[in-house]
Amino acid sequence: MDRRSFLSSMLFSAAMPRLGWADAGNPAYLAAAREADGAYALYGLGEDGAEIFRIPLPERGHAATAHPSAPEAVGFARRPGRFALVIDCVAGRETHRLHSPEGRHFYGHGAFVEDGAVLVTPENDIETGRGWLGLWARDEGYARIGEIPSGGVGPHDILRLDGDVLVVANGGIRTHPDRGREKLNLETMRPNLSYLTLRGGIEEQVELEPELHLASIRHLAQAEGVVGFAMQWQGDLPDNAPLLGLHRRGEAPVLCAADMAEQFAMEGYAGSVAMSGGQVAITSPRGGRVHVFGMDGQFRASLKRADVCGVAPAANGGLLVTDGMGGVLRIRGEAMRPAQSYDRAWDNHLIRVG
Amino acid sequence: MMRTSLAMRSLTITLALACGLSGMARAGVDEALSRHVLPGFGAFAESSAALAASAKEDCRAEALKPAYHAAYDAWMGVSHLHLGPLEQGGRALAIAFWPDTRGMVGRTVAGLVADADPVVDSAEDFADVSVAGRGLMALERLLYEPHLAGYGKGDYQCRLARAISVDLARMAREMDEEWPDFAGLLRSAGAPGNDVFLKPEEASQALYTALMSGLEFNRDQRLGRVMGSFERPRPNRAEARRSERSLRNVVLSLEALRDMARALADGPMEDSEAAFAQALERAEALDDPVLAGVATPQGRLKVEVLAQEIRRIEEAVAQEIGVALGVTAGFNSQDGD
Repeated sequence: MDRRSFLSSMLFSAAMPRLGWADAGNPAYLAAAREADGAYALYGLGEDGAEIFRIPLPERGHAATAHPSAPEAVGFARRPGRFALVIDCVAGRETHRLHSPEGRHFYGHGAFVEDGAVLVTPENDIETGRGWLGLWARDEGYARIGEIPSGGVGPHDILRLDGDVLVVANGGIRTHPDRGREKLNLETMRPNLSYLTLRGGIEEQVELEPELHLASIRHLAQAEGVVGFAMQWQGDLPDNAPLLGLHRRGEAPVLCAADMAEQFAMEGYAGSVAMSGGQVAITSPRGGRVHVFGMDGQFRASLKRADVCGVAPAANGGLLVTDGMGGVLRIRGEAMRPAQSYDRAWDNHLIRVG
Repeated sequence: MMRTSLAMRSLTITLALACGLSGMARAGVDEALSRHVLPGFGAFAESSAALAASAKEDCRAEALKPAYHAAYDAWMGVSHLHLGPLEQGGRALAIAFWPDTRGMVGRTVAGLVADADPVVDSAEDFADVSVAGRGLMALERLLYEPHLAGYGKGDYQCRLARAISVDLARMAREMDEEWPDFAGLLRSAGAPGNDVFLKPEEASQALYTALMSGLEFNRDQRLGRVMGSFERPRPNRAEARRSERSLRNVVLSLEALRDMARALADGPMEDSEAAFAQALERAEALDDPVLAGVATPQGRLKVEVLAQEIRRIEEAVAQEIGVALGVTAGFNSQDGD
């Protein structure tokens, strides 16, 4: 360590008070966007969707992960991205840049465990197609400290549950960056939902019936001890395959679908999922609608909004959604009302802070 | 002095362009609604009502065919307008259940006929029948499937044909009644209190998306499904092949989309006009009502060329209309992850 970095680390740890999300203006959400002039940025938004901060990004983002206590976010590049940015949301600047190891790429998602000391990143081992979870130590400047198998192919979203259990959506689809997002194994793909810990490895895996093996499990949400998983159908369209599942540990998953016409209208694609206040919602930018279900899996409402994709829980028990036209809308019960309208395109995911 | 005046002039031009753009966007939306959308739904309501009237008078297959074709023709004038009223209550599928990847129309119609299901005797109950058993595709089975079409006035199929026609007329009438309010929302996009379209561009975006999706549907579904792969063309997948409407639907749909593009463009669109003309000329020259020609390599090539020409329309429309309106295809819907 040279003198300057020694001094700055001294300054940071001793002289500076520990910063929290309040110092970043208490954002309730993080979301990436493309701006009117074509530039990309990460935004912090308040409960009502109002802008709290804006930090430029070098490329299009996919999702972000918020540190549980420090005002720090990790922004991931779109699949098959090979970098992630650690962003100081108070200073509004990048503090670290993570590069996936040689032969690996990220999937656009990540999660913190161990009180925020370890960042976990789903990765593709490009040559074998095997899914891995990369481990990074925050206190060591996000040094790579290890990796464990994800339990499947194409690990996409990852969430931390109580007790530092991780749940991973192994989407099942093998890709190779040299061939873009081309899907190389559709006939044999077998997605799963895997529960694991860093020390104990896989604890439980959930696979759907063989006739649903084309339903790629991609995105996750949790509430009330239930994990919601959103899927993307890889077969011929139209198809009324379910795009949402609800899973409680140790039980069989409950699959959720609307009536046939509404199910077809989702175009086999759920982009994000969120749970809040006894509701679970999935978004379909292709179908231009949000489907709202009860926690019992019963379909409740179809709310139309073009290019809608981001969705996250709101503090009042409702949900907040974002779309590619800059809209931020609030869902309460079975109604959707606009909250904000910006001149920018919100990217796939809206991430709840804290 | 000279420099100042140049700068002033370029500022004036920039402002004029900016005003022109938003003015054009709004004009395009107005034109598309008044010249294309509202008359289109009016015509569909009228021809569906005529179909229902025809079915009440004589519901036998031969008597109903002309009104069936007229209603289907009118449907091609609006089938791409997947926003607002057509998005409600599963109407799009209830009017035309296609593509039918799992053979549900045939099964549902056969089931109704086999059971002589009395649901056909109540318009209210029939509105709750599976979307696969309603609309133009279900009616087509009754009118054209040899084992179903020979029915007489007293047979169950006659009552089913009447119920389908009345149900279709109801949906068409409801949409015709609902569209003026929805058009009002499109016209007042961005105005306070408009909770559906939050910015003026959202109205142009919605209509532009319908136009582009309609073009893509012709290329990717109406032609693409029949083309299958080179090794395995799929002539049996042609849309409405029993009533020999497969190519006719492509032609009528392209004509409707050209009509919409002209209104939305609100000015000359030379490349788009040329591309539409070329594709329509090619489609008419195919002279192959059910696209059966895809079964041979030469025949398949001809359909493939038509599909490429539709792609050229999409490119021209994106350049001439999308750019002018300041809209593009969906940011997230195109991303897919």
